[in-house]
Amino acid sequence: MRGLFRWSSKWWPGVIPLVICWAIAAWTSTEPLEIDLAQRSAAALKGTILDKRRISVEGRDVTLAADAFSEDGRRSAVASVEVVPGVRLVNDQTRLVPEAKPFVWSAERDVVRVTLSGSSPLPASKGRLMEAARASLGGVEVVDRTNLARGAPPRFDNAALLLLDQIGKLKDGKITLSDTTVSLSGMARELGGREAIAAALKNLPEGFSVAANEVKAPPYIFQAYKDPVAVTLTLTGNVADHNVHAALVAAAGRKFFSEKVVDNLKTSIGAPAGFANAVVSALGALSRLSTGTLVVSDREVKLSGDALYEAAASQIRAGLGKDFPQGWQFKPEISVKPAAAPVDATVCQQLFTELLGKARIRFESGKADIVADSAGLLDRLIETALRCPAANIEIAGHTDTDGDEAANQALSERRAQAVADYLVKAGLPANRFSAVGYGSTQPIAGNETDQGKAQNRRIDFVVK
Amino acid sequence: MAYLTTFYWGWLLASVLLGFGMGWISVVQHGKGISRKWRWALSALVAALVAAALARVVPGRFGYWLDLGLIMFALYLCGCAVGSWLRDWVVSRSAPPA
Repeated sequence: MRGLFRWSSKWWPGVIPLVICWAIAAWTSTEPLEIDLAQRSAAALKGTILDKRRISVEGRDVTLAADAFSEDGRRSAVASVEVVPGVRLVNDQTRLVPEAKPFVWSAERDVVRVTLSGSSPLPASKGRLMEAARASLGGVEVVDRTNLARGAPPRFDNAALLLLDQIGKLKDGKITLSDTTVSLSGMARELGGREAIAAALKNLPEGFSVAANEVKAPPYIFQAYKDPVAVTLTLTGNVADHNVHAALVAAAGRKFFSEKVVDNLKTSIGAPAGFANAVVSALGALSRLSTGTLVVSDREVKLSGDALYEAAASQIRAGLGKDFPQGWQFKPEISVKPAAAPVDATVCQQLFTELLGKARIRFESGKADIVADSAGLLDRLIETALRCPAANIEIAGHTDTDGDEAANQALSERRAQAVADYLVKAGLPANRFSAVGYGSTQPIAGNETDQGKAQNRRIDFVVK
Repeated sequence: MAYLTTFYWGWLLASVLLGFGMGWISVVQHGKGISRKWRWALSALVAALVAAALARVVPGRFGYWLDLGLIMFALYLCGCAVGSWLRDWVVSRSAPPA
């Protein structure tokens, strides 16, 4: 031992090369060591959920900066780095992510994009919601502006995913989740969307509730366009169900005797109350126009076009609104078609025959009350009568052979008179018309079949 | 330590070998060594550096370099001790009995 002590006084010269070695070792090993420790620290934190994680290493000292989502998570992150082999010190710059109170998350849809904002509880939730938004919105740009925060209610992810499904059903609007209450506003993309959203909200996870659902339905629109050139009536828009659809198309067929009905209607829920009746009335008014457009949007009816003569325009303007249910609005924009050129009596007769060949003036069964469906035909007959003001016209009523002949005679007279009265009411001079009833004495078809009888029940216009 | 050893074992081995060589030479070297006073001063310095390293008061890279230096120095001393002892053993065996 004494010798070792004596010899050690002569060991100092080796310190010089040792210092040189140390300097080279320090020079060459520091950076690789730091890189290696940074990688090992990052690997140690792999299973720990952190946000904004930054690891920097100086020598063997690791500086860990990160936002943790719980105190336990924060401590375990620091501990994980401390036990990494080679780490001397951990400079702990971790903190907890701020707590959001109330915890608000929202999804807003405008014309071009969906913006997610507010708070998300974890990076994984953030990613999952973003992915779900992209999947359910197919092609719409999704912008994520959410920040991470603590304080989310339990089952937040499930609730938010369900709400993201609903944002796809909105044309525009906003869905907000504040703690456990949901508020919705905006406009549904399609008819029935509002109802679908309300139904889906019943599946919100336990503990969540709807504070306000102010989603509006898009306007319920029905349109009809009468095209005098193509001689068509085009129906587009929505009807409540198949029965209403069939009834509307049948009514259009009766009212528009010479036009072909083009049916582009589709069935959608959400029709306002009284929709079918209002549309049938409005179609009756449209049938009296030479050309026109009918637009029914929710409870507002717009009818524009040209009436065949002045009195018809006044009648439509004044009369149609009365047929609508309470709360409906009628906006007529009716002008009068320029009067057609006068023609002589022979041409007038031809025109009458042509019109009455296409359709018949129809009455209530067994009565002399003209049904509303015949208004369009009567307007055309009146327009024709106006073109030959000098001609006197016999309005001849005919019946089939069913029933008592005397009753048929009386009915034919009353029906002829009803038509004459209608014409006079439209502004034509009463002295031009004579109403004559022929009963069943002048059939134009056999009375053996229903078809023949229907042809025999008629009103003829005979120019005298 | 195990990690550091695996990381730069080459330098540590070099320190041991350097120490071994220095220890081997020092047994038969003539001339005076460093004085007792210097030896105490250097020992105190090394003790202070060791204390600083153990207390981890030197931060960052300087702390790492200090650790590295002390480890190399410690191994150097070990090498010196082994080298001196071995040389002494070899010398005493081959020397003719007095």
